[in-house]
Amino acid sequence: MKLSINGRTVSAEPAGSTTLLDLLRDDLALVGTKRVCDRGECGACTVLRDGVPIYACLTLAHACAGHEIRTIESLGNTDAPHVLQESFAAEDAAQCGFCTPGQLMAAVALLEHNADPSDTEIVAAMSGNLCRCGTYPKIVRAVRRAASLARAGTAEPTRG
Amino acid sequence: MAESTNGAAKPRFVTTTVEVEGRTEERVVEVPAFEPTPWEADAALTHVGARARRVDALLKSTGRPGYTTDLQRAQLAHAVVVRATVPRGRLTALDISAARAVDGVLDVLVHADVPARTRMFSADITYVGQPLAAICATTREAAEHAASLVRATVEPLPHAVTVEAALRGDAVRPGLQNNLMQGAPRTNTRGDIARGLAEAEVTITREVRTPCVLHSALEPHAAAAEWDGDHLTVWESTQGIYRVRDNLAKALGVPLTSVRVICEAMGGGFGAKNYAGPHTYIAALFAKRLGRPVSCVIDRLGEQIDTGNRPSSWQRITLGATRDGTLTAIQLEATVPLGIGGWEGGPGEIFHELYTCPNVSTHETFAFVNTAAMAAFRAPGHAEGAVGLEIAMNALAKELGIDPLVLREKNLATHDQKKNRPYTGNRLAECYAEGARRMGWSTREQVRAASKRATPHLRRGFGVAAQVWSTGGGPPSYATVRVNTDGSADVLAGSQDLGTGTRTILAQVAAEALGHSLDRVRAVIGDTASGPYAGNSWGSMTVASLTPAVRMAAEDARRALLEAAAGLLGVAPDALETREGRVVVRGTERSLAFGEVTAKLGNVMIQGHGSRGPNPQDAGIVTTGAQFAEVEVDVETGVVKVLRIVAVHDAGRIVNPTLAESQLEGGIIQGLGFALFEERRLDAKLGLPLNIGLHDYKIPTIADMPVIDGHFLDGADSKANHVGARGIAEPAIIPTAPAIAGAVADALGVEVNELPITPWRVLAALGG
Repeated sequence: MKLSINGRTVSAEPAGSTTLLDLLRDDLALVGTKRVCDRGECGACTVLRDGVPIYACLTLAHACAGHEIRTIESLGNTDAPHVLQESFAAEDAAQCGFCTPGQLMAAVALLEHNADPSDTEIVAAMSGNLCRCGTYPKIVRAVRRAASLARAGTAEPTRG
Repeated sequence: MAESTNGAAKPRFVTTTVEVEGRTEERVVEVPAFEPTPWEADAALTHVGARARRVDALLKSTGRPGYTTDLQRAQLAHAVVVRATVPRGRLTALDISAARAVDGVLDVLVHADVPARTRMFSADITYVGQPLAAICATTREAAEHAASLVRATVEPLPHAVTVEAALRGDAVRPGLQNNLMQGAPRTNTRGDIARGLAEAEVTITREVRTPCVLHSALEPHAAAAEWDGDHLTVWESTQGIYRVRDNLAKALGVPLTSVRVICEAMGGGFGAKNYAGPHTYIAALFAKRLGRPVSCVIDRLGEQIDTGNRPSSWQRITLGATRDGTLTAIQLEATVPLGIGGWEGGPGEIFHELYTCPNVSTHETFAFVNTAAMAAFRAPGHAEGAVGLEIAMNALAKELGIDPLVLREKNLATHDQKKNRPYTGNRLAECYAEGARRMGWSTREQVRAASKRATPHLRRGFGVAAQVWSTGGGPPSYATVRVNTDGSADVLAGSQDLGTGTRTILAQVAAEALGHSLDRVRAVIGDTASGPYAGNSWGSMTVASLTPAVRMAAEDARRALLEAAAGLLGVAPDALETREGRVVVRGTERSLAFGEVTAKLGNVMIQGHGSRGPNPQDAGIVTTGAQFAEVEVDVETGVVKVLRIVAVHDAGRIVNPTLAESQLEGGIIQGLGFALFEERRLDAKLGLPLNIGLHDYKIPTIADMPVIDGHFLDGADSKANHVGARGIAEPAIIPTAPAIAGAVADALGVEVNELPITPWRVLAALGG
């Protein structure tokens, strides 16, 4: 099978039971996407398939054939961060940071579809992503900040 | 540079006491060669107290800060644990032949293969989830598949998973005289409880239950191990790299200095990651046998059933007071099912601490039961005890017709009653006042009435609760600060950053004491091979334990730098000062950048050594605080919504307000889960855990968030240590659940004294 991962075409031959999460982490070493519950309960493995946030642990690798997958690795790096990464850092929206990649990908999907979300819309979009350190108040602020920066044109477009 | 000028020779090593997780330990400590002059509350500081950005914030936003579970090694093999599925029995046979035959399986470990000191894989099964064997394969999927093919033959034995069953005497594990910790209940008494009750004009009694709750760190317990000859390197998701090293060396019977433990980044601990565990030993043993690196990551089921918990509690509280609200008696009887092991992290301690009262008696029964052992969980004991004590205080206030806040203020603890000594600082009275102002406590009656008129089924209520927790930290803790040849500086310490921000605040303190710019100072932590000893990140003690050592090391390095610069500038060292990375001749424009000084030195190293001195023995060191909750309860559905939490704490000097607020919010949110959602459920008859994932075990989500107004009193505790800082991690969680419980009772007019306060418990309390 062939699929697009972060803009590059990847050929893979996963077993029928291999999940997208296993493919990303174990076969492709894209370990930014986290394995926490491995059964669709926590959102830590959130990635985008054709722009839609999905749980990679509940998605079979074969269900992604011919689709475009984006992971946390498609965003920026520490030298050139994506506006959401910069906003998460500015608002201290990551403590241990383990849920952060999933939170960021959920937020990317939100802002790509809604450039000016209300707090209620932010909460609704982010409510599938658990955090145990308690960064939720700062996540809302970070997403709001990123949306505002993007709208003001002071940041790159939010497409990651 | 100030230092003590005590002319008499001080003993270099002395014995001191430190408090960890509510327990007091005696330790030999080294008295530092010099102690910097304390930074008083009005000290003019640049980096300490600043809202500096978390140094690894952007790195974390890439998902790759270096978690143990993300470790990439060539030939890395994967180990999984085979677990017991019954609460008690005797393992008579373990058939691993089918597992061995699975493609990709490399090795299997059973009881006969492991050193006795690992205490793994016993044939005496004492709880569901107990490890029975481990399997290693080239892929995690192969190892998991093989584990499912292991066939255990077990002769079942009677079990006890409740205190009641344990007290009936059914043995829960071999070798116990009875099922009680230390063989008997623990009783602590101050004064004369009978007299206190006799003197009371009003007494109230309440029964309160708190649930067993799970740490639920998102990164699971995990280790990876690799041998190079006799030298072992272990990556571990841990709160204590040095303790893991010690545990490993003892369990495996190898020299301490042959073991290196690394924790570059970790995904949460909350008290459950203080020691090496079976996963650590399994990774190390397989790696040795196979001659390749091995990773052992506990799956979510294992996290739910075998990595510790905050045990449940039953508490019966009796309070006695005179009509004016003066407490005369505080009495607690409590039972705690510890699980198959653990320690006496019970609710009783806070009953002796939070309020002034001459007569206090706590009687706690700690029972062993056939569930996984408890572990320290953010303010162990105090979080549970505060629920019982504060619910009882609210009941007493109602009985007396006194405002619950006024009752608390009237009975404020003015000194450390357990040891009859003052506190270095305790500004709880100010916390109450500031919190009440922020919450609008005085107008709560009007808000409640207006809300009831507007929406009769939604009842508004307000609650208050307080906390006290020992946060003095203490020795031993060491740090090295070196100024590199390019003028940048490193702080080396054997600590680790759980997500609290340790890496950031160590750099802030070093930059302050060196007179450097923060972006040129880097904390190198999380590796026993590079950092001198630091203790576990537990007991809210990292800031108070380690930052004084870092400050001292930085001042030591600064002194060396000034002496080197003095020769270059042709002035005496005491004519020099440091500012933002430059050595400046005081009162002039002449200066040299640190890098210009070090460039002249070649490979001469500028490094400073720092150690943490003993705490004052004549005063208690605590963080105190008060939290206020505003809730809205739907009396038709029973759903409780927390609208607002106001939290005001006195934690001494705050090294970084942004990080401290984050930690405060984290404690409050975990406290909210404890109050409303979280409960590890068991089937008592079968001894089986029922909610074994994050779907059934509910932790708070972003949709459950109240408005959180967290605030720290300005100031510094310069009597506690020369940085003036205390801890906040555990204090943050203690008052949240009792404040919410108080607010629910205020809203309903009836109490719900069993946590979590679920809709059906609310409806039951309303008689629905």
